[in-house]
Amino acid sequence: MDELEFLKQNWKKQEENLPRLSYDDIYSMIWKKSSSIVKWIFVISIVELLISTLFTIFMADANYWDQLEQLHLKKVTIFVYVISYLITFYFIYCFYRNYKRISTTDDAATLMHNILRTRKTVRTYIAYVLISTGIYYLVIGYLTVQNHQLIQNIEDTSKYTFDAMDWVKFTVVFGIILAVFLLALWLFYRLIYGILLRRLKKNYRELKRLEI
Amino acid sequence: MKKQLEHEFVSNLEKHQNIVHKICRMYTNDKDSHNDLFQEITIQLWNAYPKFRGDSKFSTWMYRVALNTAITLYRKSKKELHTQNYDEISFKIKAEAYNDEVEKQLQLMYKAVKELNDIDKALVFLYLEDQSYREISEMLGISEVNARVKMNRIKKTLRNILNP
Repeated sequence: MDELEFLKQNWKKQEENLPRLSYDDIYSMIWKKSSSIVKWIFVISIVELLISTLFTIFMADANYWDQLEQLHLKKVTIFVYVISYLITFYFIYCFYRNYKRISTTDDAATLMHNILRTRKTVRTYIAYVLISTGIYYLVIGYLTVQNHQLIQNIEDTSKYTFDAMDWVKFTVVFGIILAVFLLALWLFYRLIYGILLRRLKKNYRELKRLEI
Repeated sequence: MKKQLEHEFVSNLEKHQNIVHKICRMYTNDKDSHNDLFQEITIQLWNAYPKFRGDSKFSTWMYRVALNTAITLYRKSKKELHTQNYDEISFKIKAEAYNDEVEKQLQLMYKAVKELNDIDKALVFLYLEDQSYREISEMLGISEVNARVKMNRIKKTLRNILNP
């Protein structure tokens, strides 16, 4: 007889030595707060969505709009903002829909898939905010430098015009700042989600491996 | 109405609590973690209870939610990852019914099962609980054929752990 069969035959006999909780013990437990990873993922995701949205709102103060007015970029910016808010609402809707799909009554593989998909929505949104903000400020930066002389009404433009070397410096500094920022963000993600999702990802891979 | 639902749920869980304790014993290594996991499973069961329609047995429904919580939702504490209290993880049966040799063998076997990964442990647990391969495959979200193949591999792994 194989070993597992031997354990199976005796399996039920351990029940007499299991702890026994009373009705009241169990009743008090149903009112306790959950500390599951889904709850943490939900809280962190909401904070991320809020910070990203507030970030775009606070960047646009009155001074910022005045500058855009002078550069004749106000209309374009308003258009970009409307589009970006529509995209943000779409992401929030996707996040909510995916979150609602998480159910402990699903099979293990579906449950894991749904949790990972909810996370992916927020991750994609953060990537979208970073990339679109990066592109937007690059364009605005370029146009500001180009139009600088027009705004300031400078006669000797030679001091204020970028030559090839200045452009190289500008791009390198911009690139370094961006790289440092992205690295810090990446490390933060590795830390938070490494802790929360490492085990889930490992188990999901194990289940999927079985299906090949 | 809500009071009635609470009473119904708590009574059902009280009656079938052994299933949850066995899962907790399988996935944790000390008493505190056992209690933590039991509590989390209870909360998840209660949250999901309004969706329980009674078309399956309460115990069958419990296996699914409880195992999902143990495998996916529960976050092991750092302390627990480094604790291996042999006494708390050992397989305990009524002592007078068995001789030492049998009990020692059972304990070694149980210790070997606890060394398996989370998914393999779930398969073994459901197998020991006398669930069919169809039920096992439905709970884990894999095909029945793969559940059988996997179980054969686990048996070999266990044999290797026990006879190095």
